[in-house]
Amino acid sequence: MASDALRSQVATKWQDAFKRLNNNQPGISGLLTFSESWTNTLDFVRPVNLKEGQSHKPEDLAVARKDFEMVNRCRRLPVCLEIFLDELRQKFYLVREDVDSYLAQYEQSEDPIHIYNLIFRLKEWYDAWLPSEELGATIRNAFILSFQTQLYSILGPTFVKGFKDFIASTLPSSDPEMSDKAPDIEMWVIFEMLGFLDRYESIIASAGYEHIEAHVLENCAGQWATPMMDSLRAWMSEKIVPWMLLMYGREAATTDDARVMLANVGSRFDFHMAKTLCDLRTREIFDIIVDYPDSAGALHDLKDCLQRVDQRGALVKSLRKANRKRLLHPGADTRLILSQYVATIKCLRIVDPPGVLLFKVADPIRRYLRERPDTIRCIVSNLVGDEDSGDSLVDESEPIVPLQQPDIEDYTDPNWEPEPIDAGPVQTNRPSDVISTLVSIYDSKDLFVKELQVLLAQRLLAITDDNVEKVDKERRNIEILKIRFGEAALQVCEVMLKDMTDSKRIDGHVQSQKASIVHPTIISRQFWPMLESSEIVMPGQFQVLQDQYAKEFIAFKPDKRLRWLPHLGTVHLELQLEDRTVEADVPPLEAAFIELFSGQSIWKMNDLITAVGSVDRSAALKALLTWVDKGVLKEDEPGTFRLLEIAEEASPTRDSSRIVPAQQEIPPVASLQQQQAEQMKIYWKFIEGMLTNLGQLPLDRIQTMLKFAPGYDQTVEQLAGFMEAARREGLVAVKDGIWKLTPK
Amino acid sequence: MEQLTTSLTPRPATNKAPVAGSSQQSSGSVAKRLGNELMTLMMSASPGISAFPKNDGNLFEWVGTIEGAPGTVYAGLSFKIAISFPPNYPYVPPAIKFETPCFHPNVDINSGGICLDILQDKWSAVYSVQTILLSLQSLLGEPNNASPLNTDAAAIWNNQEAFKIHLLRHYRPLKDESA
Repeated sequence: MASDALRSQVATKWQDAFKRLNNNQPGISGLLTFSESWTNTLDFVRPVNLKEGQSHKPEDLAVARKDFEMVNRCRRLPVCLEIFLDELRQKFYLVREDVDSYLAQYEQSEDPIHIYNLIFRLKEWYDAWLPSEELGATIRNAFILSFQTQLYSILGPTFVKGFKDFIASTLPSSDPEMSDKAPDIEMWVIFEMLGFLDRYESIIASAGYEHIEAHVLENCAGQWATPMMDSLRAWMSEKIVPWMLLMYGREAATTDDARVMLANVGSRFDFHMAKTLCDLRTREIFDIIVDYPDSAGALHDLKDCLQRVDQRGALVKSLRKANRKRLLHPGADTRLILSQYVATIKCLRIVDPPGVLLFKVADPIRRYLRERPDTIRCIVSNLVGDEDSGDSLVDESEPIVPLQQPDIEDYTDPNWEPEPIDAGPVQTNRPSDVISTLVSIYDSKDLFVKELQVLLAQRLLAITDDNVEKVDKERRNIEILKIRFGEAALQVCEVMLKDMTDSKRIDGHVQSQKASIVHPTIISRQFWPMLESSEIVMPGQFQVLQDQYAKEFIAFKPDKRLRWLPHLGTVHLELQLEDRTVEADVPPLEAAFIELFSGQSIWKMNDLITAVGSVDRSAALKALLTWVDKGVLKEDEPGTFRLLEIAEEASPTRDSSRIVPAQQEIPPVASLQQQQAEQMKIYWKFIEGMLTNLGQLPLDRIQTMLKFAPGYDQTVEQLAGFMEAARREGLVAVKDGIWKLTPK
Repeated sequence: MEQLTTSLTPRPATNKAPVAGSSQQSSGSVAKRLGNELMTLMMSASPGISAFPKNDGNLFEWVGTIEGAPGTVYAGLSFKIAISFPPNYPYVPPAIKFETPCFHPNVDINSGGICLDILQDKWSAVYSVQTILLSLQSLLGEPNNASPLNTDAAAIWNNQEAFKIHLLRHYRPLKDESA
C-alpha cells in the first residue's frame, strides 16, 4: 500500500536518525557508542533497591556524565526520562512495602517514633533515587513530582493520624520539668523535601492548635486570680514561635523576614489561643462570678479575649443558661440571687463597660427577682445594713450617689464608649451604681421607700431600753439613704426617728411629774406604717399604770391622745410566790396572763383569753407555756392551768407530744402585702361608688374607671381576683361579665 | 346703645381663644380638685349620697345618686342626678339636674332643674360635691316653698299623703336601677 514517496520519506528519516545516533562516525561505531551510553545512563538513573544494599558507585559519575551528554546530544533524553519514570513507578512497591511495615508498627504501638523512622527511611529512598544534579533540573523536577505523587497515593489515613501525633511530639512540652528537645531542623528539611509541609499544612497547624488548647486548658482552668493572657502570650512567643519558625519561617534569612512570614499564621495561632481561653472562661463564667472579686484576673482575660474573638453571643447564652439552671429556681435564697446579681453586675462591668452584655444577661434575673415577694425586703435590709446579713451587697467603697436616671447618656464622660454592635435597639442601661440598678428592678422607687419605712419601724420598735446608740445608727443610715432617694422621699422616716427622740423627751417629762415604771415609745400614727392592732386589754395593775401615764401625757400634750398598743413591748416582772421569787422579761401577753393568776390560781385557757380581750389561741397557748417552762404554771389537764405557789418538781421533760404550735414571730409592723390589702379597701370604695352611680359595668370598664383612684396600680387580672372575692362575700353579683352591686 | 353694638359681633370670636387657652391651663388644677373631691367622697361614706364620673378620662361629668332620707316622704326612693362641672369650677357652681323625675316643690318635674340657692347666687368655692349632695338630700325633706319651681308640688306639700301619691305617680327609677 505504501507509495514510493512514503517509502523514500521513511528512508530519509531513518537516515537522519541513524546519522544522529551514529554521530557521523564511520560504520556503526557511533551507534555502538551511543548504545553503550544509553545503557549506562539507564543503569545510572535506575532506582535501586536499598534493601539489597545496592548503591551507585561514585566513580561512575564522570563516566555517567559523558554518557549522559551523549544521550542528550542524540536527543534521546525525553525517552530516557520516560523510561526512568516508568521504572520508578514499577519499583515504587519497594517504598510501599517499607511504608506499610512502619505504619503497621505504628498502629500497633501508637508510638510516633515509628513515624519518625518512616520519614527518615523515606528520605533514604528519595536520596537513593534522586537523579544526580548533573542530569539537569528537568529530570530532577520530574522525579520529585513523580516521587511525591506516588508517595501520597500510598500514605493513607493511618499515616495522617500518625503524622499528627508525631508533629505533636515535636512541639515543646508545656511541662517545665522536661528539658526542651533541640529542634530537629534536619527533619523539617526532610518534610520540605518530601513536600509534606505544603500537603499537610492543615494537619501541622491543627496539631499546633491542639497543643495550644491543651496548654490553655491545663494552665488556666480554674485559675482566675491573675490574668493569664500575658503569660500565655509569653509562652507562645517562647515556645510556639520557634516551632512555628521551623515550619513557616524556614526560608527566612533575617528575623525581619521571619516576622513578616509569621505575621499571618501567628495571628491565627494567637486568635486560636484567645478563642480557647475565651471558650474556657465562657464555660466557667458562672463560677467566676461566684468567686468575684477573687476572680478579677479571669474577667480581664475575658475582656481581652472578647476584643479578639467575637464570642459575646456565646458568653451571654452560656451565662443565661447557667443562671437559669443554677440561680433562678425556688431553691435559691433571694439574698443569694441578689448577691449573685450584684456580682454579675460588677463582673460584666469589667468585661464590657458599656453594659450591653449585662443588659442581656440581667433581664431574666430582674424579671425573676420581680416575682419574688421578698426581693424588696432583701434589698432594703441591705441598704440599711442589717447586722444579721453577713456580706453586704453594697460595696463600702462605692460612693454614695443619688439614684440615677438610667437613660441619660453622659457624653461629657471622658471614658464614654460607643455602644457595641450587638447592642439592641432598646436603650441599654448605662452602668450605674449597684443600688440604682437594684432599685430599677421595680418601676418606681416608692415601693422601696415604703418597705424602708416598714423595716425602719420594725427596727426602731425592736430597740428596747434607751439604746441611744442604735437610734443614732438608724439615723445615720437614713441620712445615707437620703442621698440616694432624696430628702422628700424619706421625710416619713425622719418623723419616725424624731418620734423616738421625742418619746424619750416626753417620757422624761412625764416621769418628772409622776414617776412611772411604764416607758412607752410614742409614735405618730399618721407617719408610721400600719402597726398590727390587737384587742388585748391589759388587766389589773397594768391597766392602772397605763391610765396613769396617759393622764400625765394628756396634761403635757393636751391636743394629743395616747392610744396604747399593749401587745408591743416587753415587761420586766418580779413574781413573788410563797416560796420563791421569779424574775422574767416577757412579752405583754405573758404578763397579762400571770397578772390574772394573781387573783385566781386556776384558770381555763378560754377564760383567760376572754379576760384579756381577744387573742389568738396559739399565741395564748404559747404565752402560757412560757410560764409552764419557767415552772410558774402547771397544766393539770389540757386547757386548765394552775399557779404553782410552791414549786413542784417539774417533770423535766414536758410531754413532748404536746407540740407548741410553731408560731412565727410576726413582725409588729404590717408587711407590704397587708398594706396592699388595706389599699384594696380604698379601691373597693371606688368600685362601690361607680357601681352605685353608673349601674352595672363590665370588668374592663371598672379597671379603667379605677384610674380615678389615686395610686391604683393593679392589673385587670388582680382586679378580677378581687371582684371574685367580693362576689363570694355577697357584695356584688356578676352576669355575662357585667358586674353590679347586690341590693342591700 | 353703642356699648351694646360693640359687644354684639366680634367679641365671641376674639374672646374664645384666650378663654379656651386659660381653661386648658387651669383644667389640670380643676381636675386635681375634682379628683380630690372624688377621693373624699368615696372615703367619707355618707349614707344615701354618692357620685362618680360618668366616663373614664372625663372628670367634668358626673352621675350622682341621692336616696331619700329616712323619715321623709322620699324615704326608700333613689334619684339620679347629672352633675356637670364648668371649666372654671369651683369659682362657678356645677350645673345639676335630676335625671330621675322628681316631684318636688323646688325641682322642675320636666327638665329636672333645681332651685337651690347654693347652686346659684349663694355658691362658694368652699362647697364641694359632697356638700351639694348633702344639701340636695336635705332639700328633698325640707323644700323651700317660698320660691317653688313646681307650684303644684308646693301647694300640696302640706298634705303629705296626697304628696306621696303624686310623687309615686311621677317616680320612675332609671333602667339601670331596675335591672
